[in-house]
Amino acid sequence: MGKTAELLPGTLDMLILKAVSLKPLHGYGVLLRIRQISGDALEIPQGSLYPALYRLEHRGLIAADWGQSENNRRAKYYTLTAAGRRHLREEAAGWDRLVSAIAAAMNATSEEV
Amino acid sequence: MNEELRFHIEQYAEDLMRSGLPREEALRRARLEFGGLNTVKGDCRQARGLYLFDELVRELRYASRLLRKTPGFTVTALLTLALCLGANLTIFAVIDAILIRPLSFPSAGRLVTMYNTYPKAGVDRDGSSVTNYYERRGRIPAFSSLSIYRFGASIVGEPGSTEREQITQASPEFFTTLGAGPALGSVFTDAETTYQTDDVAILSNAYWKEHLNADPHVIGRKIRTDGHFKTIIGVLPPGFRFLSSESQLYLPLSSRPEDRVPAERHSGGNVIQMIGRLKPGATLAQAQSQIDAQNAALERDDPQAKMMADAGFRTLVVPLHADQVAAIRPTLLLLEAGVLALLLIGAVNLMNLLLIRASGRSKEIAVRQALGASRRHVVTEVVVETTLLALAGGLLGIAAGIGGIRLVAALGADRLPLGAHIQPDAGLAIVALISAIVLGVVLAAPIAWFNVRLQPSRALQSEARGGTAGHAAQALRHGFVVAQIALAFVLLAGTGLLGLSLKRAMAVSPGFESDHVIAGQISLVGSKYPSPESGLAFTERLTNELSHQPGVAFAGVSNNIPLSGANGKSAATVVGHVLRAGESPRANYSYGVAGDYFRAMGFSLIEGRFLTGADSRRGLRVCVVDEDFARYYWPNTSALGHRLFQGSEAGPDAEVFTVVGVVGSVKQAGLTEDTAQGAVYYPYVYRADNNIFVAVRGSVPPDSLGSALRRSARQIGPELAVNDIQSMDERIAESLVARRSPALLGGIFSGIALLLIAIGTYGVLSYAVAQRRREIGVRVALGARPEQIRAQFLSLALRLLAAGMIVGLAGAWVTGKAMQAVLFHVPAHSPAILAGAAGVIAAFSLVACLQPSRRAARISPMRALADQ
Repeated sequence: MGKTAELLPGTLDMLILKAVSLKPLHGYGVLLRIRQISGDALEIPQGSLYPALYRLEHRGLIAADWGQSENNRRAKYYTLTAAGRRHLREEAAGWDRLVSAIAAAMNATSEEV
Repeated sequence: MNEELRFHIEQYAEDLMRSGLPREEALRRARLEFGGLNTVKGDCRQARGLYLFDELVRELRYASRLLRKTPGFTVTALLTLALCLGANLTIFAVIDAILIRPLSFPSAGRLVTMYNTYPKAGVDRDGSSVTNYYERRGRIPAFSSLSIYRFGASIVGEPGSTEREQITQASPEFFTTLGAGPALGSVFTDAETTYQTDDVAILSNAYWKEHLNADPHVIGRKIRTDGHFKTIIGVLPPGFRFLSSESQLYLPLSSRPEDRVPAERHSGGNVIQMIGRLKPGATLAQAQSQIDAQNAALERDDPQAKMMADAGFRTLVVPLHADQVAAIRPTLLLLEAGVLALLLIGAVNLMNLLLIRASGRSKEIAVRQALGASRRHVVTEVVVETTLLALAGGLLGIAAGIGGIRLVAALGADRLPLGAHIQPDAGLAIVALISAIVLGVVLAAPIAWFNVRLQPSRALQSEARGGTAGHAAQALRHGFVVAQIALAFVLLAGTGLLGLSLKRAMAVSPGFESDHVIAGQISLVGSKYPSPESGLAFTERLTNELSHQPGVAFAGVSNNIPLSGANGKSAATVVGHVLRAGESPRANYSYGVAGDYFRAMGFSLIEGRFLTGADSRRGLRVCVVDEDFARYYWPNTSALGHRLFQGSEAGPDAEVFTVVGVVGSVKQAGLTEDTAQGAVYYPYVYRADNNIFVAVRGSVPPDSLGSALRRSARQIGPELAVNDIQSMDERIAESLVARRSPALLGGIFSGIALLLIAIGTYGVLSYAVAQRRREIGVRVALGARPEQIRAQFLSLALRLLAAGMIVGLAGAWVTGKAMQAVLFHVPAHSPAILAGAAGVIAAFSLVACLQPSRRAARISPMRALADQ
């Protein structure tokens, strides 16, 4: 399964929104997509995926519809709503700021102090 | 959600199979990695905001499981709730129908009634006169409308199929005053208020449907009443109901010009009643002062004014609804207080049982709290459990309440003013359920408090050491038992007073021999019996016919009989009697009698002779007075030979009556009538009335006497209907219904209360014994004798009992004072009743604690100490 990283708390929602923003997905698809776009580095705990999906749906950030899966089975597909898109943008911007701030902090040398 | 999760697991399993795992193994791995399906589902539901609902369902399931596990407790609790709520619902239904719900007219709060009163002459209520009506209508600015009415009965229908119907005669504005008029047609006009022009009628909706097939073109058709044709001019809407009246026909209240003159101002006689509607903004006080002012102005040129002032004459204006229910109000409020006390006892009982149960589970709760159960969770659990219990009890209570309302109806509630309105309906059911929920929450509060305050470490330790219960909880439980006993004591003492009062009332002699007598009412149609003489001829023929019927001993006629509900007081002027200083003219009961009335009714003769039909026939101006009358006017001499005039003034010598006999006094208004008003009996022709009572005495059963009366009446006049045939014993029993029913209901409440305190005492004592099992075991092991153990618990019970009695005694004292108004010849505090109540309660609670005490004494030390 390769080397996986711990999922930071609070980032699961953002990852799901990102995964769904690329293409409507069913729950299992979200799992695979996150694994794929993270280069197999992130592993979502299966038990917490669905509560997160329901929570996002409840908040109106994603919408669900029943559709056909690749192997012709009924599956629930999630798409990003307008509110979800906005939310994802804000989250991503916030995340970028956080990462660069932490990176800057971590790259600091004694001369800069 | 299930489908989605299953899809996930299967997809994952397929992927795993693709990587080479066998199907079984793949599925297993997939499930394993997914985690607990139920946990995930729960998390999902929580994420969707369904959490609270889920929790409630879970709690409900848990609570009902707990309740099922302890059937003894559950059944006791449910029965307690059902009885207490049912009793409360019943009494509330009565109070709501009679006291609370406004009369069914628009702005019914503005409807008033007014009546003349002459308190110093012994006449508290004399209705209003026709003159009052013509003098007041349109002249009292506070009223938008004012009218008079009179209840009566008429023979309605074609000869051969006549029926006697209740009717109301009313002045033209009657329906305007009430604010509700005919649904079809119109109301009376002023032109229709004389005997020559009053041939119109308005029908009740029920009569229209039943007898005229709800004919929509009924207006203009004729209907025969009392032998005259009347034109139907209106039909009332279905919901129209004036007070307790069951009138089928409304006719104009006619009068002659000579009935409307000032001389007739005070001739109300409590037959005609007046109602008025206050203008918006006008107050009762304004109406009262305007009436007072008018009375004062009219009295200035009234020759009777001095006498009326001496009699304390006034016209009182009172709200119509309040006036209707004034007499029954204290009794109803008393019953409400009693039933609330019962509810309190029940609630306290339940709370105690719940507290005991909670103590029994304190270890479990403590463990759960130690394991992380939140306070909120512990509280919710209790609230859900007690509310579930209360709701189930509430449903049972509604069923009990419906039964109770039936019982109340069987006890004669429909004879109460507005009593026919008492009915179980959806509104009452909703009130019952809401109170049940409130009760559930109230009951839950102390239990929840107890559970939350529970400190896990202490609770677990105290159990481990086998110590005694927390002091606060114990004090609370004991306090509840004391409160219960006190309330039951008050309830029992109050019921005892009602019972004693009823017994005293029943012991009163009506003044005549009431067994083997029946009486019925006959209305003589005015056109066939236009004069007193023709009425007399009828009574002669009737009594003659009756005396030939088998089993009939005596038959007689009077225009009024004891306990008939009518009072018929008027004045008599005694020749030679000079009003003493401060003495006002007196009204006395006045009767016109024919046939062997006195013997038929079983009056006692004090001196002289009875009146008979012969006196009327020969036109003798003689009369009989009763003992009260004789004692008042001729305290030291025989009444025989003294003379008096009918009415409030002396007349010409030719009209004077000579007293020829004195009879024993009878109770006219009711057995509990205390004032010795006096009575004068005249020959029927001098006080004739088209509405007569026929009394029949005989050796055969009352039913046979009744049919003899019916047979004889039909023989003489086929158009005549005999109504209201009842034995005098029945009339006496019925006159006591307002005393008997509350006493009976009080008895039922007391019985329930006794049962509840027995349960309460038993529960608390049993619990105390169970709690101190180990302690008792140790003491027995150290040599304590079983009697000592038993005595210890009995003394606890006695202490609680004594405390409850002391508080109850104080309560009973206050209650007795408050009840004085509804009691008859019973002091507010009867030592015998208090002692009786104490004895019964002591017996019940001591019996209840015998068994637990005995169980305590039998505890074996080995078993008690080995148990854990």
